[in-house]
Amino acid sequence: MNAAIGYIAIAAVAIASALIGFYGLRVSRTTSDFYVASRTVRPWWNASAIGGEYLSAASFLGIAGLILLTGSSALWFPIGYTAGYLMLLLFVAAPLRRSGAYTIPDFTEARLESVWARRITSTLVIVIGWFYIVPQLQGAALTVRITTGLPAWVGSLAVAVIVAVVVAAGGMRSITFVQAFQFWLKLTALAVPVCALLLLVGDVQPALPPVEAFPPSAGPGDLEVYRTVSLMVALLLGTLGLPHVLVRFYTNPDGVAARRTTVIVLVLLSVFYLFPTAFGFLGRAFAPDLAASGDADALILLLPERLIPGPLGDVLTAFVIAGAFAAFLSTSSGLVVSLAGVISQDLLGGSVRGFRIAAVLSSFVPLVVALATQSSGLAGSVGLVFAFTASTLCPVLLLGIWWRGLTARGAIAGMLTGAVLSGVAILGGAAVSSWLPALRPFLEQPAAWTVPIAVLVTVLVSRGDRRGIPRGTDRFLTRLHAPEPAGHHRREG
Amino acid sequence: MSDDQPPPRVRVTAPHAGSAAASARPVPHHGAEAPTSDIAGVYVRSLIRSQLRLGIVFAVGFAVATALFVLAIALVPQLDETFVVGVPLSWLLLGAGVYPLAITVGALYVRAASRNEARYRSLTEDE
Repeated sequence: MNAAIGYIAIAAVAIASALIGFYGLRVSRTTSDFYVASRTVRPWWNASAIGGEYLSAASFLGIAGLILLTGSSALWFPIGYTAGYLMLLLFVAAPLRRSGAYTIPDFTEARLESVWARRITSTLVIVIGWFYIVPQLQGAALTVRITTGLPAWVGSLAVAVIVAVVVAAGGMRSITFVQAFQFWLKLTALAVPVCALLLLVGDVQPALPPVEAFPPSAGPGDLEVYRTVSLMVALLLGTLGLPHVLVRFYTNPDGVAARRTTVIVLVLLSVFYLFPTAFGFLGRAFAPDLAASGDADALILLLPERLIPGPLGDVLTAFVIAGAFAAFLSTSSGLVVSLAGVISQDLLGGSVRGFRIAAVLSSFVPLVVALATQSSGLAGSVGLVFAFTASTLCPVLLLGIWWRGLTARGAIAGMLTGAVLSGVAILGGAAVSSWLPALRPFLEQPAAWTVPIAVLVTVLVSRGDRRGIPRGTDRFLTRLHAPEPAGHHRREG
Repeated sequence: MSDDQPPPRVRVTAPHAGSAAASARPVPHHGAEAPTSDIAGVYVRSLIRSQLRLGIVFAVGFAVATALFVLAIALVPQLDETFVVGVPLSWLLLGAGVYPLAITVGALYVRAASRNEARYRSLTEDE
């Protein structure tokens, strides 16, 4: 790999991000500007912005790598990442917009009228955010190692520093336009190379004949039912609780626009995921050796120059490197903004200085974790974060919106149960399944049993605590579900 | 209400921790006054129930349709043997086929949910 291309592409994206951050300095000076959002953003912009923040290292690099490594079972990841927004649409989008809550802790506190419910939610949001940032930094480490030959830790450090500086300087990332631009950048960075490869690949001999590249044993016919169902539970329900997604819904003018935005997100994600999928298919035919070398996640970075040597291949490589770095930076900074908001409000009094300290803290804790651990596949690690989110925040969010019987005690019991069960399964699963191999799938994909147990505990404890139903419940639920009066706004679409 | 006047830009600030009153109502909201009478409460509850039913029906519908689709792919071995641009049809179908389904379910749901809300609105505004 020509290291100069790597340096140029990474430097260009880093400088662009830094410029945006410093430009943001001039725009935002006061505390409220850090959280500011215009509520008249059009659905298309808003949907692009949601896509821009959402598509992370797992989507950009991880899916193609996993298709190369494991075959068609990996196709369930993009399906789940997309269908998660369908669940968001069906159960969360409009009511959450109408709640007026800006973060998930705001929502639980307002709904349950309990400071303790808020504190536990905040803690979970912080843990989820940190573990979601870790794979982004590991993706950056991989990209830097593969494309420049520098040691891997340089990549993690660079992303963590850029994100901390940009967020602490401007809080600019919450501006819709920048995130919307990120979506189209990421889409182009995959779509152009895929189209070029498909057009030019005709004269290259595949490394494997189609029958060997796509064996039925790795195909859709060979379905592991439990694992697939459990993964879908994790991805579909985990999307509901992601800390950086909720903020975006606030910029919709009302509940109806929130729904329309979500449908557009479904369309945008569906289009985007066709390209990593195509990369994965190309990889199986043309670069099966990458699966063996353990660098499957680097498939998208390596394939263009392999198939098209020369200047055109170099340009395409620069494209995908830039897109990958944009993915690491935009997702990490979206998460750091949300985390810094939660940390600074709950611990540091909500000042600008507190926000900056929190931004630095939110970037460096995951950096330490990323440097201390080895990536075990980007798509897989993000999938586990979704499983944890689905087991902890999702039951509270869903029951809080739809069930008037939820109490603070029930919510806290459910969140703690879900956190302990899924946390133990994720962290201790490898050790347990080495002497009880029969449990392996249940520990590697825990969501199918941890989510129902968490919901059950929440409901049972709430039932036993009928007097704990918050007094404002009816009022709050009315607010969540009653539509805005006709004609309260006419200026959209 | 004037249609030409753009709504004023609203500055959104997150509430400070600890002030439950502030976080309960961070933004003035016109659409959802608390139910003033029992009958209003009944309307809201029936709206919530019908929206929840709608969401569950669409979610289950999506799950069942996806399961049937995957089952069909798995049970037709010819799909593994038919290659389109070098990739088996079964892989292409799984890789691209569920997305149109998700979008369709989403678009239909938006229409149905808006209909529920319009019904609620006409009930409450008739009073």
